Amino acid sequence: MLSALDGMAQSLDAYLVLAGILFAIGSFGFLARRNAISMLMSIELMLNAVNLSIIAFGAFSTSLVVEASVIALIVMAAAAAEATVGLAIVIAIYRNRKTPLVDEYDAMRQ
Amino acid sequence: MTLPETIPFLGIGWDDLLFMTLAGVMLISGLLVVTMRNIIRCALAMIVCFAALAGLYVIASAPFVAAAEVLVYIGAISVLVLFAIMLTQTKAAPSRLVFQTQAGPAAVAGILLAIVITLAVVSTDWPVSNTLNPTDTRSVAETLFGSFVLPFEVVSVLLLAAVIGGVFLAKKEHGGID
Repeated sequence: MLSALDGMAQSLDAYLVLAGILFAIGSFGFLARRNAISMLMSIELMLNAVNLSIIAFGAFSTSLVVEASVIALIVMAAAAAEATVGLAIVIAIYRNRKTPLVDEYDAMRQ
Repeated sequence: MTLPETIPFLGIGWDDLLFMTLAGVMLISGLLVVTMRNIIRCALAMIVCFAALAGLYVIASAPFVAAAEVLVYIGAISVLVLFAIMLTQTKAAPSRLVFQTQAGPAAVAGILLAIVITLAVVSTDWPVSNTLNPTDTRSVAETLFGSFVLPFEVVSVLLLAAVIGGVFLAKKEHGGID
C-alpha cells in the first residue's frame, strides 16, 4: 500500500512539481482577485514557489548546494523590498480612491 | 527507542510522510489564500502556507533558509500585509465580489500552467544526484560573504531604498514633502 510513493522526499521531481503547482496557484490569484492586497499575496506565493525550486535544485546537486541557499536568501530580500513598496503603493492609492479593488482604478479610461 | 525504517502498514518512509503532509498543507492553504472571501483569513492562510514551506526547506536540508523563511515571511511580510489590510479595508469590501470577471479564464490558465510545468518536470531527465545533500550553514556564510559579497551589498542598498520609498509613498501628502 502506497509503496509507489516511497522515496518521494528524495526525488527532485516531487519538489519541482510542488513548486510548479504553487506557482500556478499564485498566478491564478494574481489574475483573478479584485483586491490589490490579494494580488500582492499571490505574488508572494509565486516568489516562494520559485525559491522552493531553487532550493530543490541545490539540494540535489553536489556542486550548487551552497549557492542555492545564498540565491534563495537574496530572492527573499528582494521579495521583502517588493512587498514594502507594493503595499505602500496600495495604501497611497487607497488614500486617493478610497477603495482597494483594482477594477475600480479606472481614472485613465474615463 | 528507535523508529522503524519505514512506517508499518504504509510502506513509506517517515520523511515521505512528512513531505506529503507538508505539501498537502502548503497546497491547500495556498488555494485558500487565493479563494477565500475574507482577506484577513487569506493572510492567515498565507502564514500557514509559509510555515509548511519552511518545513519543506528543512526536509530539503536547507535549515538556514528555513529559519530565514520563518523570520522574513512569517515574521515580517505577513505582519506588513496584515497592517496594509487593516489600513485599506472598508466594511463593504469583504462582502462584495471577490473575483474579477476574468476569473474563469484565469483558472483555466492556472490549471494549464500547472499541467505544463508538471509535464515538463516529469519528462526531463535532470542531471542531478539522487540523494539530498545537506547544506552546511558555515559554508553558506562563507559563500555569502565571499564570492557573493557584491550581491549582498547591493541587496542591502535595495532594502534601504525600499524602506525609504515605502515611507515616502505611504506618507500623508500634506505632511510636508511635496
